[in-house]
Amino acid sequence: MAADVEQKGRSKPENPFLIIGKPLATAARQFAKSLIRPSTIVYPFERLEDPKFREEVAIRSGRPIGVGQVWDNYRGVHALNVNTCISCNLCAFSCPDLCIDMVTVPGGDPKHPKKCPQIDYGKCSYCGFCSDACPEGCLSMTTRYELSTPKRAEMVYSPQKMFEIYQRKLPMNPIRLERPANEDSILLDVPLCIGCNACARDCPTECITMLDIPKVAPKPGEKPAKRIWKEPVINDSDCVRCGTCISVCPKECLFWGTHS
Amino acid sequence: MAITTLWDVAYFMATALLGLVGRIIPPLAAPLGNVDLIWGLAALVFGAILLAASMINTIMLIWFERKMLGRFMDRRGAMHVGYAGLLQNFADGLKLFRKNTFKPRDADGLGFYAGPTAYLVTSLLMFGVLPVSTGWSDGSLPLSMLLALVIFSFAPLFIFISAWSSNNKYSLIGGMRSAAQMIAYEVPILLAVVAVVVVSGSFDLNTIVNEQRNFWFWTLPLTLAMIVFVTGMLAEMERIPFDLPEAEAELVEGWNTEYGGMLFAYFMLADYVRALAGSILIVLLFLGGWTLPSYVPAALTSFPLAGIFWLMLKTYLVFGVFVWIRAALPRVRTDQLLRIGWMRLIPLSLASVVIAAAFVLVKCVPVLGCVPSMGG
Repeated sequence: MAADVEQKGRSKPENPFLIIGKPLATAARQFAKSLIRPSTIVYPFERLEDPKFREEVAIRSGRPIGVGQVWDNYRGVHALNVNTCISCNLCAFSCPDLCIDMVTVPGGDPKHPKKCPQIDYGKCSYCGFCSDACPEGCLSMTTRYELSTPKRAEMVYSPQKMFEIYQRKLPMNPIRLERPANEDSILLDVPLCIGCNACARDCPTECITMLDIPKVAPKPGEKPAKRIWKEPVINDSDCVRCGTCISVCPKECLFWGTHS
Repeated sequence: MAITTLWDVAYFMATALLGLVGRIIPPLAAPLGNVDLIWGLAALVFGAILLAASMINTIMLIWFERKMLGRFMDRRGAMHVGYAGLLQNFADGLKLFRKNTFKPRDADGLGFYAGPTAYLVTSLLMFGVLPVSTGWSDGSLPLSMLLALVIFSFAPLFIFISAWSSNNKYSLIGGMRSAAQMIAYEVPILLAVVAVVVVSGSFDLNTIVNEQRNFWFWTLPLTLAMIVFVTGMLAEMERIPFDLPEAEAELVEGWNTEYGGMLFAYFMLADYVRALAGSILIVLLFLGGWTLPSYVPAALTSFPLAGIFWLMLKTYLVFGVFVWIRAALPRVRTDQLLRIGWMRLIPLSLASVVIAAAFVLVKCVPVLGCVPSMGG
C-alpha cells in the first residue's frame, strides 16, 4: 500500500515553477480583489445593519439581501412589551439556561402582583425558546447585539430595560416555530378538589372561574366530602396552557389531558 | 547652495547651527567657521538623521507589512491608532518599553543581554555602509559592498549566542537552525554578488549604481543572479518560506522564546532592520538604486531628495514582493531548506557567474544590441 502511494507520487513529478507560481497567483488575485475594499467591516464605524452598507454589500455581491435574510433573523437582545405581558411564566419555564427570573413590576394589583421576565445575558444562549413560548407575543428578539459591559451586574436586563428596547421599535425577530397546536387541556380530578380558589387566583389570563356546585348530601355510611362546594371551570379558548394552575394546586387535582 | 541630497541637508543644518552659536557668542564665530569643524558636525548630523530615518523607516516597514498582509487576507490590518493605523507600531513599541524584562534563572546573563543588543547594533551598522543617495559618496569605501555583506553575516553569531545562553531547548534548536540556514545561504548570495561585480567591475556600491544608470537593462543578464540573491536574502532575513529558526508551529518562538519586553523588541526591530537593509541592498545591486534609467525625463530626478525618494520607493516595492511571498508560500522543511541552498542555489549562482562573464566578454545582448558605455 505504502509502495503504491510512493509509486503514485513518483509517477507525477511536481513542477517547481507551478508549486511556487500557483500560490503566488492566488495571493495576487486576492490582493487585487481586496485592494479597494476588503470584506471586513470596520465594526464600530460601519455596521452590518446600516441600510446604506447593506445596499452596498448587495450591489458588490450581486445578491440582493431581503428583509428576513442574513441579519434580519439575528437573535439579539429581547424586547419586552410589559403592558401585554400576562405573567404566565412560560418564558422562564422554557429557558434551557435558567437565565430568566420573574420579577415583580409595578402595575399589578397588590393581591395579584404583576411579574415579568428579567434576563441574565451572562447566561443566555440566545436560543429564542422564550420568545417562541410567549403566548401573547410580548417577548421577542431584536437584532441588537451590543451588550458588552465592564460589570457583570449590568448583564442582567430588567423588564423595564427590555421595555425601553421595545419602545425603540428595533427590527424584531418574533420567533414562532411551526408546530402542532397543543391539544392538551387542563383537566380536573373532581373528587380531590377542595375548592381552594388558588388556580383561579393565579391564572394569568383569568380564564378560570369558580362555579358553585350543588350540595350533595352524603349517603348513609359515607363521610361528607371535604370540598367547600366550589369547582374551577376552565375556559379553553382563553387558556394559554401555562400550567400555573397545576403548579399552585395544593391537592394536585389538576392535570394535563384531552377531553374525550 | 542647492539642497538636493541628504548630505546637503546635514551640511546646511551644521552650518546653520554653528553660525547661530557664532552669532550668539561673537568671540567663537571665527573658530566655529572652520570648514573641517562644519564637515565633522555635518557628518554627525548626517549619522543622526540616518539612524532616525532608518528606525522610522523600519517601523513604517512593519506597518506596510501589516497593512499589505491584511489585504492579502481580505482584511484591513491596523486601523485605529493614527491615520489608517500609522502609529500602531509606535504604540506597540511604547507598550514593550513599559514591560518588565526578565531573565530565566539558569540563563547566562552576559550572553542573554548582549546577544539581542549586538544583533540590533550590527544590523543598524548596515545603514552606515549602504549609500542611500549620491550625497553619501563622501563616506563611501572602495569595498563597501563587501563590507555590507560582512555586516549582514554577523547575525547568526549573535542569534546563536542569545539562543544558547537562554538555556532553553527550543531556543537552542532555533539558534542551530538559524546558524545552519545562514551559513548555507551565504555561499549562493556571495556567488550571485560575484556576478554583479563581474559586470560592474567594482566592489563600490556607488560605482555599481552609477553603472546601472548608464546601462538600464542591467537586470537582463543578471536575472538569474537576482533570483538567487533574493531567495538567499529571504533566508538571511528569516522571512516566511524560510523562517525555520522561529517556526512558531514547532519551536515556540525559535531562538527568541525566552525574550520578552524590550529585548524582544530589539529582536523584532533588528529583524525588520535587516529586512529593510536587505531590500535596499537588492535595489542597489540589481534595480538601479537611487537612479532612474537615463531615458526618463530629467524632471523626475531633479527635485530635492529625489535620489532618496526613488530608492525608498523601490525598496518598499521589493519589500512588497517579500510580503507577497510571505502571504503565498508555506514554510519549507529543514532538509528542503538545506537542499535548496546547497543543491539548487549554488549551481544556479555559479551559472549566473558564467553568464555574467560571457556577457562581459561579448558586451552584447542578443536582442538589444551592443553596449559601448559599460564599465569593467
